[in-house]
Amino acid sequence: MKAFARPVIICVGLAIILSGVLLLKVAAQNNAITPQQIEQIRSGCSPLKNTLNQLHVSDALLRVNMGQRYELMLTKLMDRFNSRVSSNNLNNTGLVFVSGSYNTALDAFRSDYILYEEQMSATINIDCTNQPSEFYDAIVLAQTKRSQVYSDVAKLNNLIDQYESAVNQFEKDYQFIAGKIAD
Amino acid sequence: MDESQTPTEVKNISFIGRHRFMLFITLSVSVAITIVGVSMYIYSSSGAAQLDLSRPGYVSVRDQVTNSTSEFPNYPNNGPISQSDIDNFKSLYSQQAQKIKLVDAFSGDPLNLDSLVFSNPATTGQ
Repeated sequence: MKAFARPVIICVGLAIILSGVLLLKVAAQNNAITPQQIEQIRSGCSPLKNTLNQLHVSDALLRVNMGQRYELMLTKLMDRFNSRVSSNNLNNTGLVFVSGSYNTALDAFRSDYILYEEQMSATINIDCTNQPSEFYDAIVLAQTKRSQVYSDVAKLNNLIDQYESAVNQFEKDYQFIAGKIAD
Repeated sequence: MDESQTPTEVKNISFIGRHRFMLFITLSVSVAITIVGVSMYIYSSSGAAQLDLSRPGYVSVRDQVTNSTSEFPNYPNNGPISQSDIDNFKSLYSQQAQKIKLVDAFSGDPLNLDSLVFSNPATTGQ
């Protein structure tokens, strides 16, 4: 019994400390907004909700359209070219590496968008007239998550460029080999 | 047959027999609820919910969805490779890459609180 007492006490103590830290953090978040700002949110609740709804809808459309394009870049171009190079017994290591990274980045984009969309839905469902501080905190969180989605998009665009470079490198290697064979 | 055991056996069988239909209904409804619950979980966790523009509230943008599949080139994944094939691929790839980069998706900061809330005339009452 005594052997268990110490670890239990330590765990309980850590839990109390952690709870205190979280409470302080929540309090700090709620206190970051001034009473004037709270009043602004209360008075402008309806137009705010309309703006957020419009953004929510336009982002959904963007996700569908751009998600399609990013996916098709991988499945209809990258994977197919990699496969064709491989079937000709040519070195496609660089191409496969970049397309693998692209696939990983695409998965991250999908996951991060889900988190962002859920946060936006939660934000829109908050009653900003009665809960202006929570609404403010939710918008801040949605902003962070949207930034993460944008950074995923930037990474995907970067990988698209990297793949293009890999194709150029492959072309040089191919020309070198083709030249050697011709000789 | 042992007559002393008969009433108990009859009692057990008749209980199930009496409630067979209710048990069947209850079980069917339970299975249906479970399957619906699992389906809804998969729908929301897989990301399908975020892509589903048939939901209420998305009526205004439904007709703006582009069918990229039809306009995307289908590069053949087999066959010999020659310089012209590589050039063809590079051209197709470059075209699609340009289209993607033109959009610059999710850029800007529309959720910036200063512009969204605190400088918006609608919320400041100006």
